Amino acid sequence: MPKTASKSVVKNLPKRFMWTGTRAIAEAVKLADVDVIAAYPIRPYTGVMNSLAKMLADGEFAAEMIGADSEHSQFEIAKHASAVGARTFVGSSGVGLAYAAEPIVVTALGQLPVVAMAGCRALDDPGNFGMEWNDVLIFRDSGWLMSWAKDPQEALDMVLVAYRVSEDRRVLLPSFVAVDGAAITHISAPVEPPSREGVTRFLPPYKPQYPLDPAYEPVTKAQHIAPSLIGPELRKIVDNSMTQAVEVIQEAWRAYAAFVGRVYPPFIEEKYMEDAEIALVTMGAYAKDAVHVATKLRQEGLKVGVVRIRYFRPFPAKELAETLGKVKAAGVVDFSYSFGSTDSSSVLFNEVKSALYESSSRPLLLDFMFVGGREPSVEHFEQAVRLLQKGSGKGVIERHVWWPTLRGENQ
Amino acid sequence: MSERPIIRTVRDVPSADLYTSGHRTCAGCGAALGYRLLLKAAGPKTVVLGPTGCMYVANGHQFLSSPYSVPWYHTQLGAGGAAGVGTAAAFRSLMMKGKRKKEEVNVVVYGGDGGTGDIGFSGLSMAMSYDYKRFLYVLYDNESYANTGIQASSTTPWGASTTFTPTGKIKRIGNLRMKKNVALIIAAHPGVRYVATATLFPPLDFINKAKKALAADGPAFIHLLVPCPKGWFTDPKYTLDLSRSALETGLWVSWEYESGEFSLSYRPEPRKHVEEYLRMQKRFEHLTSDKIEEIERMTAKEWDYWKEMDRRKIMMIPWIAPPLSSSQN
Repeated sequence: MPKTASKSVVKNLPKRFMWTGTRAIAEAVKLADVDVIAAYPIRPYTGVMNSLAKMLADGEFAAEMIGADSEHSQFEIAKHASAVGARTFVGSSGVGLAYAAEPIVVTALGQLPVVAMAGCRALDDPGNFGMEWNDVLIFRDSGWLMSWAKDPQEALDMVLVAYRVSEDRRVLLPSFVAVDGAAITHISAPVEPPSREGVTRFLPPYKPQYPLDPAYEPVTKAQHIAPSLIGPELRKIVDNSMTQAVEVIQEAWRAYAAFVGRVYPPFIEEKYMEDAEIALVTMGAYAKDAVHVATKLRQEGLKVGVVRIRYFRPFPAKELAETLGKVKAAGVVDFSYSFGSTDSSSVLFNEVKSALYESSSRPLLLDFMFVGGREPSVEHFEQAVRLLQKGSGKGVIERHVWWPTLRGENQ
Repeated sequence: MSERPIIRTVRDVPSADLYTSGHRTCAGCGAALGYRLLLKAAGPKTVVLGPTGCMYVANGHQFLSSPYSVPWYHTQLGAGGAAGVGTAAAFRSLMMKGKRKKEEVNVVVYGGDGGTGDIGFSGLSMAMSYDYKRFLYVLYDNESYANTGIQASSTTPWGASTTFTPTGKIKRIGNLRMKKNVALIIAAHPGVRYVATATLFPPLDFINKAKKALAADGPAFIHLLVPCPKGWFTDPKYTLDLSRSALETGLWVSWEYESGEFSLSYRPEPRKHVEEYLRMQKRFEHLTSDKIEEIERMTAKEWDYWKEMDRRKIMMIPWIAPPLSSSQN
């Protein structure tokens, strides 16, 4: 490349910042020109609200920001502001999300495009700053879209896409953008924010179909009903929206790629899967560690691939069945638990397993449960791969569920 | 503040009803009557939030009909305060940012005693600590969880029989907790601009208080006593008589607190014996005359405070020795 050309490219490169995940998400909220923000403190998500409060104090953008008395009120505020026609932002972590369970459930059934950040954190008791996914996954059945970011850049991108998808009239469902506590919320990484003008084009102002506003025809919303009247039909609306979201998500990421120049595969991101015999399947920040381990072990000749799930809802069952159908053994790197479920395993594992049920070509499937918040090391991922290799060699494995970070005889 | 929007005669009350047919509340329902008066006062530029309760379940259900001619949205049982704040915040933000035409929009929450005084208390307190104008929370107090079958709440009066506080072979009194004075607690929020209590009688009193509340310069709260034929075991035809008797026996105190000044809206002089009010209701029928006298004693004591507050125009916390029989049951 001629020198002059390279110089002008450098000059025109968009600016990059070192931002934590919470800061990157706050920047996305500002870019999205959110109207109402509802906050309540709990670690590790709460930095996003600190950042937003400072931005508002400095006049970087305008919004009503409410410090609520609880997560329950917080999610109710967002829900009702959304019903009027405001673009809203809310979020929480751990037991905070559990406290907000009631408004979280009704927001989806009320078809309101609220966007919430979840800073994944272990549920109490005892209080625990460690990272687990169960705080978000307890809402997996309630009609929220759920995406998991791998780093601050993707967290920012996912928030902007979440508003676009949620507000699409074919969808009208709320979104959780989940980021792993500490690993994303508190770790700085380079982030390239898109331009405000570009975001305005990508994300026009929210216009609800039936705003709760006396300037329009009066609407009675969520009136009590006799279940026999329209009970199943109301559930089906949410179900259809979730189905339609699949296409809308794909469209949105295509449009986003055209706008910012970063291309993401919408539902699953694959690494080394072309010739892989063994796969690690995961979501979120630790996918990077999995890729690191795969890269290392490939030098030993092990054909390891990594599949990163970007959306838990809608769950990419078809994509997973396709790619995992090619390997002999797959291990789910899982930060959740589902006590008493099949094999007393975990939420993501069960989900992946059921995605493979109809497939004619199914790999051996192992569950690696990193629960209780103790951080995994790359050695744990290496051990996981070696167990998978052993199993794939024999074609059978006696034990499916492993707790790699657990101390003591049970491991 | 602009001229007080006072309605002087019943003839001046708007004839249009914004809470109209299409509901299935009980005959003689006090809460439904309160809804009607409230929306007459608020007018069409209003959004109403309805927490779960009688006024949720009894106002819909059967035929997908709606009694509301203004925008109305359900909110969860404990979410009245948060729903009001979220709605008001949306209007303020959209108007501030030029996304919606600037005009005055009322945000009204109509929540029951369980939803307001119990499960929604924290959110209500939060709502009253912000500065949203034209934001009114009305607590319609029928003194029990009437929708679920008359369970005691923290505003159920001492001595009332409810399904959670029934009388029996060894328990003779019923509810042993004394009624929580929610309006007094709300008045302790420095940001609140208008606090009042009212009942359905006289109707202009409540309508005018609602109008004042919405014209106040910040959040406002009205505690409205609404007789409940189902929960009080009364004949539907006595609903308004019960409201009147509650005032005349002093068991309900109608007052206002505005700009730091307290005033009684009604002084029962001479105050009738509480027996008149209590004996109209089957929920008190088990009370022996000594228990009735206990209530009379507590009421008289409380009124020493109310009169003193009215004289000095300040708020005080009435202190009443709990009934001796509470511990003896």
